[in-house]
Amino acid sequence: MNRSNRIVLACVYWAFVLYVFVPLILMILMGFKDSKFIGFPIRSWTLDWYYSIFSDAEILYTFGYSMLIAILSTLISVIIGTWLALLLEGRKFWGWAVTFGLMVLPALVPGIISAIAFRIYARWLGIEPGMGAIIWAHAVHNVPFVSLVVMARLSTLPKSQTEAARDLGADPLVAFLRITLPYLVPSILGASIFCMLLSFDDFVRSFFLGGYEETLPVLIFAMLRSGMSPEINAIATIALVLTAAIGIWAERFTRRTNKESQL
Amino acid sequence: MSHDDSPRKNHNDIVQYSATRPFWGRLTNWQPYRLLLTFATASPRRQFIILAAFPLLWLLTQHLGPMIQMARVSLLESYPVAQGAPQNFTLDNYIRFFGDHIFWMPFFRTLTFAAVFTFCTLILTYPVAYFLARHVSRHNQMLMLLILLIPFWVGEIVRTYAIMILLGNTGAVNLALKWLGLIERPIPFMYTSFSMGLGIVYLTALYMLLPLYSALEKLPKSYTEVAADLGAGAWTRFRRVTLPLTIEGISSGCTLVFLISTGFYATPVLLGGPSTTVFAETIAGFFHYAGDEWPTGAAFAVIMFAAALFITGLFQKLMKALRRGDTK
Amino acid sequence: MTKFTFNRRRFMSTTAMTGAALASPVYLRSASAAGGEVNIWTYNDFVPKSFKKQFEAETGIKVNIRLVDDQGKQFNLLAAEAPNPTVDIMTVAGHRFLQFIDNELLAPLDTDRLSNWGNINPTFSESDWATINGHKWGAPILSGMEILAYNTELVSQEEAMTWNTLFSEKYSGQTAYIIQDMMSIVMLMLGYDGNMVAYMDNPDKAAAIVEEAKQFLISKKSLVRKYYDSGAEVQQMFVNQDIALGHSWNGPAAALINDGFPLGMTIPNEGSYGFVYTYNVANNAPNADNAYTFLNAILASPEIGASMTKASGFISTYKDASNYLTDLEKQSTSFPEEQIANLQFFRAEANKMKYGLVDPAVEAVKAA
Repeated sequence: MNRSNRIVLACVYWAFVLYVFVPLILMILMGFKDSKFIGFPIRSWTLDWYYSIFSDAEILYTFGYSMLIAILSTLISVIIGTWLALLLEGRKFWGWAVTFGLMVLPALVPGIISAIAFRIYARWLGIEPGMGAIIWAHAVHNVPFVSLVVMARLSTLPKSQTEAARDLGADPLVAFLRITLPYLVPSILGASIFCMLLSFDDFVRSFFLGGYEETLPVLIFAMLRSGMSPEINAIATIALVLTAAIGIWAERFTRRTNKESQL
Repeated sequence: MSHDDSPRKNHNDIVQYSATRPFWGRLTNWQPYRLLLTFATASPRRQFIILAAFPLLWLLTQHLGPMIQMARVSLLESYPVAQGAPQNFTLDNYIRFFGDHIFWMPFFRTLTFAAVFTFCTLILTYPVAYFLARHVSRHNQMLMLLILLIPFWVGEIVRTYAIMILLGNTGAVNLALKWLGLIERPIPFMYTSFSMGLGIVYLTALYMLLPLYSALEKLPKSYTEVAADLGAGAWTRFRRVTLPLTIEGISSGCTLVFLISTGFYATPVLLGGPSTTVFAETIAGFFHYAGDEWPTGAAFAVIMFAAALFITGLFQKLMKALRRGDTK
Repeated sequence: MTKFTFNRRRFMSTTAMTGAALASPVYLRSASAAGGEVNIWTYNDFVPKSFKKQFEAETGIKVNIRLVDDQGKQFNLLAAEAPNPTVDIMTVAGHRFLQFIDNELLAPLDTDRLSNWGNINPTFSESDWATINGHKWGAPILSGMEILAYNTELVSQEEAMTWNTLFSEKYSGQTAYIIQDMMSIVMLMLGYDGNMVAYMDNPDKAAAIVEEAKQFLISKKSLVRKYYDSGAEVQQMFVNQDIALGHSWNGPAAALINDGFPLGMTIPNEGSYGFVYTYNVANNAPNADNAYTFLNAILASPEIGASMTKASGFISTYKDASNYLTDLEKQSTSFPEEQIANLQFFRAEANKMKYGLVDPAVEAVKAA
């Protein structure tokens, strides 16, 4: 019974993998098509799109620029998100529900609305559009995801552990740094990857808050005006390989730290 | 994994750590640190204030601030306010929604679609999350989860165009069916609620998968084993043990997915047909075509958001009731 | 002069460079090497890369380009920045001028400062839509039009000579159009003025006409495959053979033709509308002087116009630009005289009334 269950579930899993990967494979395939438009039939193949990307300093610069924004905004989100999670999880205080509501708010506001709200607010605050403004908007938007993930992890931390530490004379900060934080590392890492990808993928906020340097999605949108060219697929493929590499590295890394903490 | 171990072992760990790693000992004995700490932890109240002050300030200025500006714009007669002109506040933008039925159709359609897609996503991803959390060795879980997440890292637009060349009349699916001799004329998959749903589940699966996975992962295996020992069949075990215990994950996943799907714009616009216009398009219309209609767009956004919040509120209540009923 | 052009063309083809600017430093002689920068909002490829490079090298003015993808977003951005914008030059379509002017976002264009103004074909620079409140507001660069595009393997040219084919049972489920644009065209099909300038004094009549057009589109809704928004969408629908014919702008259609896709396009007998992309100077532009230097430079040579056409598929407004196009490019950016005769430009005068009526009608068609 259990075995057949398992087989059925495994099939469902792999079917799901197929579902998410087929469009991806098509996308990668089209990056090698020798035509200005993607789609079947493919009559001849080419590497030109990749050549032109790697010889275009502007596109390469855009990659770096988007990456930098993703990393910096993620750093901010992680610090504030974790802090918020510590404040909210397992505590009861007056206004808890409101605080929680405010915490998740940026994740719930539809993209275009949030972008315009940020733009209006940035103007009101006197923040110049540009890299700083994009980082700010991405950081705010991603905080809830960090908080939610960290809260979920935090709720599984046996109270006895921190209490034991306190019994042994550790002060709250040390107890946090020695017990809680290491326990949270996998969830924080997971959340960071998630934030980085949200930031890397974001168009509306980047567009409304951006200056004269475009992020990757903004560039793709602009390129789309002259047609869905295989070049866009090639760019997306490169971005995918980059982010996947980072993701797999992060997975390895957590696995290693997990092992170390087990020793 | 160390965190699943008994507290006893951790006692030992701590003792060991303080003995072997001098940094922490030195820090805790450092005078300024001690002073700071005594000050900060003088009373639970002070401790709380120190913990809470910065995040609360952040929430108010960064999370609430933009939305308040938005709400303010929704009450303005015109925006941007011309130089020197007075700002007039009005409710007209809200009344406009209730006064014209052409806006209701996409509005209710969006809520319905969001509910249906949320449900589909749940049905689709639950077994996947279950498989990952219960049947895959811990060693491989992260990797297999990651494999699923990789495709979500491709930008929404590029992925959506990939779905077009998958489902189009000369798309991969139709080519394959034709090659297999199953069809003679291509099946028009594109620009229907089917193609739209396929694209949307792509966007939502991620938000559903993660909470479900973490809820299922938390669930100790022993629970279902005990139930099995007591003679419960697979279905009963699932219904009486697994499902109630993961209802929190289901509820948070559904809430997140529902709220986010009310705001989808690009995917429904690109993959939907003439009769699948969603409210986000209506809202975006006010920001796109007629720039001087920002206030109306803002007001509609507020309405949409309020309605979505209301529905998820009801849903949460229902879930809570279910949970209570089950534990009784 | 002809000889000079001939040599230039030879040079262009041998170096295989599309960048027209490469060979024309002449336009900069009058400009002082002032330095500084100029900020531009425009579509991808509307400022040819090689032109930009050369302009920067010759003048020391740094060109910052912010890529945009539609008119509404430019307006929103500019409105959010007013009254002290960061931008010097925007790219506004001629029939959208009024909205920008009413909100005091554009500065009138001082054509006396542009010695190369005469390089623009007067059809565009002196057209009726170009002058508002006694001023010029932008330098025309590319011209687009609403056309009927059709897959030549599935639809005959004869059928494509009337908009009615778009609504015929024969091609049910194989058509696509942009509703906003189609509203104007349907009004034209029904024998009215799609610009609505004729009904400015008669709002009741205007409302009745929009209602008629709206009802027409609603009654034909079951026949359409897709109401689309962007050029890339309609291109993809043609490539995937999801549609056999559709309304389109000439730019995206021309790009498909140049890629070898069996596509044809017509200006149907009932007529159609054209529009013109212009470069405009922002009100309170931070670097207005540099903006004029830039505008004068980009208008300097028909080769620059040709390279914009190559990149976008839209028709150049420069005199003689077509001399620098290949035969296929020429074919994809020109129409027979008798079809051009049916074309008129979009007008802005009645826009407030028109879009006040059309926008809700569009929503109604979508919601129906």
